[in-house]
Amino acid sequence: MAEQQPAITLERVCKSFGPNHVLRDVSLTLPAGKILVMLGPSGTGKSVLLRCLVGLMKPDSGRIFIEGQDITALDERRSADREQLFALRRKFGMLFQDGALFDDMCVGDNVAFPLRQHEKMSEREIADRVAQYLEAVGLKGVQRKMPAELSGGMRKRVAFARAIALRPKIVLCDEPSSGLDPVMSATLDELILELHRKFAITFVVISHDTAEARNIADYIGLLYKGELQEYGPKEQVLRSSRRHINQFFDRSTDGPIKVL
Amino acid sequence: MTNRSVRWFEACAAFVEFLCAVCRCLVTGPRYLVETLRVMDLLIRRCLIPVGLAVAPVGAVISLQGAGLFRMFGAESLLSSLLATAIFREYSPALASVMVAAQAGSSIAARIGTMKVRGQIDALAVMSVDPIRYVVVPGLIACIIVTPLLSVLTTLLGLVSGWFFAVPVMGVDHGSFLANLYAQVSLVDLWVGMGKCMAFGTAVGLIAGFLGLRTSGGATGVGKAANDTVTLTIVLILVADYFVSMLLLRLGV
Repeated sequence: MAEQQPAITLERVCKSFGPNHVLRDVSLTLPAGKILVMLGPSGTGKSVLLRCLVGLMKPDSGRIFIEGQDITALDERRSADREQLFALRRKFGMLFQDGALFDDMCVGDNVAFPLRQHEKMSEREIADRVAQYLEAVGLKGVQRKMPAELSGGMRKRVAFARAIALRPKIVLCDEPSSGLDPVMSATLDELILELHRKFAITFVVISHDTAEARNIADYIGLLYKGELQEYGPKEQVLRSSRRHINQFFDRSTDGPIKVL
Repeated sequence: MTNRSVRWFEACAAFVEFLCAVCRCLVTGPRYLVETLRVMDLLIRRCLIPVGLAVAPVGAVISLQGAGLFRMFGAESLLSSLLATAIFREYSPALASVMVAAQAGSSIAARIGTMKVRGQIDALAVMSVDPIRYVVVPGLIACIIVTPLLSVLTTLLGLVSGWFFAVPVMGVDHGSFLANLYAQVSLVDLWVGMGKCMAFGTAVGLIAGFLGLRTSGGATGVGKAANDTVTLTIVLILVADYFVSMLLLRLGV
């Protein structure tokens, strides 16, 4: 069997906002079907990295390949590129930090939204699929509720169901565990593992929760001040003697990572 | 160049780009008809009562103030001509548009702004749905259709309230009121009024969409976007209305 193409490849990606360098020379390769947990203190460019991956932001320099296709070469303003970009984004599901559910739609319509946009399915099939995914995230029968009626954890799980509704190959999660109680974040982690096993989805999880990294990661990266301080398979990173990674996993204030 | 003028220039460039994107979405599919109808329904419900309340007194005031004055010259039968001209040509399109700017513009800008600051616009883009196509264009089309509809309503309300204060209250003769009602207005006035409404509706929809999508800075930003939309569109409508009226008077229409 030919070697599978990596899901995500970054080549020397740089991004800055004015004098603020958010990403500096970030390069990495993530094989398909693996879970990457990208760690780092708040405000070190993790979310920007995620936004660059789906083409919501364009890096200043460097290239990003999604299954071999260069997403940075596509300009949303050109119509031919836009079609390609939209086609490329169909490979992605994204779980936003606070869910980003549509407030004026009920839960069922939120999860059905991507299906109605992109799949030629009957309403009945859509309803079945929605029920199936809501059950998968442990929320049976909440279809008619509005997002405002749900707790933060429930909203995140609904958003998760929406993110995986189109059976994407790559799912990006922006801090899935932030603002959740430990039990709920463990539940979400298990959900990620289960979906990973079931559908062989590649995950990129942004987090600052080291427990989460230990539990679910195949690969771990550590971003600090826009630079990728550490990246590799979990075992290798956990054995690393680099002070950045040790400080982060030891929850210590003593080390190269400084709080501004 | 100062920072301020750079920002202003940048905003203008962004608006031109936005306009191009909107035009592209208008001529190509897919179109979100259900979403458009939903926004229209929302706008009509938001605007109906405020617009009615704003225009009804105008007819009443013209009749109340005009009846005495016209009577001094023995021309009270011509009161309805003034009433109809003023309402058809000026008040109805301008007031309907201003109220649409205030009600519809603010609610569209606030809705899009909220979606923007809560990441829902990005979520749309990640789901391969063009946000301009899905949230801006339906709002724009709804504004273009709803404004003339409301103007028809305001015209009727203005005339009815004008009639009420002229005929039963001030004692103008009912027959001559009706006979002279359309003496000074023509079909052209009607079309000009409708055209103005559609143009102003377009301005409201575009500005609300543009400022909504540019919202940043949380709930404060949303409030600012809604507020800026209302201020900008009302000023624009009043200035544009003045020039259109002057032009039409010059042309003798």
